[in-house]
Amino acid sequence: MSGLLDGRVAVVTGGASGLGAALVDRFTGEGARVVSADIDHPAGDSPDARAVDVTREADVAELFDDVVSRHGRLDVLVCSAAVEVRAPLAETTDDDWQRVLDVNLKGPFLSLKHAIPRMVASGGGSCVLMGSTLGALGAPQYSAYCASKGALVNLAKQAAIEHAPDGVRVNVVSPTACEAGLFLKMAEASGDPEGIKQFVAARTPMGRLGTIDDVCEAVLYLAADGSSYVSGTVIPLDGGLAARRIS
Amino acid sequence: MVRLLEGKVALVTGAASGQGRAASVLFAEHGANIAVTDLNDEGSAETVEMVEGAGGKGLPIHADVSRRDDVDAMVAAAVERFGRLDVLYNNAAVQMSGRLVDTTEEQWDLTIATNLSAIFWACRAAAPHLAAEGGGSIINTASVLGLIGSEGYAAYGPAKAGLVALTRQLATELAPAVRANVIAPGSIDTPRFQKVVEEMDDGEGFLSGLLQNIPLRRLGTAADVAGIALFLASDLSAYTSGTIVPADGGLAALR
Repeated sequence: MSGLLDGRVAVVTGGASGLGAALVDRFTGEGARVVSADIDHPAGDSPDARAVDVTREADVAELFDDVVSRHGRLDVLVCSAAVEVRAPLAETTDDDWQRVLDVNLKGPFLSLKHAIPRMVASGGGSCVLMGSTLGALGAPQYSAYCASKGALVNLAKQAAIEHAPDGVRVNVVSPTACEAGLFLKMAEASGDPEGIKQFVAARTPMGRLGTIDDVCEAVLYLAADGSSYVSGTVIPLDGGLAARRIS
Repeated sequence: MVRLLEGKVALVTGAASGQGRAASVLFAEHGANIAVTDLNDEGSAETVEMVEGAGGKGLPIHADVSRRDDVDAMVAAAVERFGRLDVLYNNAAVQMSGRLVDTTEEQWDLTIATNLSAIFWACRAAAPHLAAEGGGSIINTASVLGLIGSEGYAAYGPAKAGLVALTRQLATELAPAVRANVIAPGSIDTPRFQKVVEEMDDGEGFLSGLLQNIPLRRLGTAADVAGIALFLASDLSAYTSGTIVPADGGLAALR
């Protein structure tokens, strides 16, 4: 059976756990050769599960050099590596702020910078950045996270416009709370994970949290050819929340 | 004349020229004392003179807002001199252009530090003072380029979009004591803008093309922006927070 990504080469940052790991599996199942880049991969474990600090330009450049030298091309980039700090403004430290902006924003900047020329050389490609509902609306105690995700959307638009003539597309998927990833970590650390999940689900028009499959389907759509005329946009994955937003 | 900022204290960054200077003088005409903050001491001294000519007290503060220590010190200096802080107007910015693949790590870091992190630091330092008197107002200067995708602003656009998101976030967290809003200027006729146009190969062609896309058919002025800042600083906007006011000649209606 043919897959949606047959013959394609994809890089997923943050691929060691959560949504990133699910995306690696899903892309592989669709026929792609997938390289996962994550600071949590053990160094030297496998060439396709690389220990990479996405905030270091040397690491990022080396990653894409290696991918192209081993796999011959680059077609898809998913920037899924992210961190979250939840703290009141007064208690958000310089280090917290910088780490969130570095991982969630500078990481995608560096990844796009080094991936796009290699995609151009491969005849085009698709980049998908993992955004958040909190890029489009504010929430108390998420100053750094909101800023990083709001900026990320504009980064995607810049890259989309600059590289539209090259056949490189850049889009954002913006999930709200999902049964995976950072929200799940936050919920589990809270002491009342079920209560928090139910509270958030109840405020969502669809009455449920997002699932890993919801995210994988949306990212796969943007990565594959079905979205070939879609670039510079944001797909909210939020159970209908966006319909309530003032625009 | 109704004085909208009687007895208030405003800290304005990037106040040595352009929009920051125009707002400082207008705020002073409306009864405010101004902490005039900039890297350019000479320009700050001139602005202080103009503030005092308008009937306010002015305090010149030297600060490089890309340095966190300077940002903390500027807030402390303003509060020490005037005993309170009601308005924080984060107007200072750097504008570097460049396509994404040509943007260096240094350009990225400096743009993010000056145009985004600096405002976070300033708001964190100022928030308790702004809340102390009630009715505090944060005004952050973003840009139309933070609202739309464009070409050649790979660091500037994201920094300004991040600032819009940060402002929205602050509006949720600092309410009800403090409001936070964004001004998003489009093409404003400042010395910096003139310099950019002069350095172009076909500056006149660029200008006429630009004006074709602006419904009001002119560039904005520092006074246009200062008027919005006065509205956002004062109680005229007491029920407005977390929003974006464009100063763009109607551009937003077209795109």
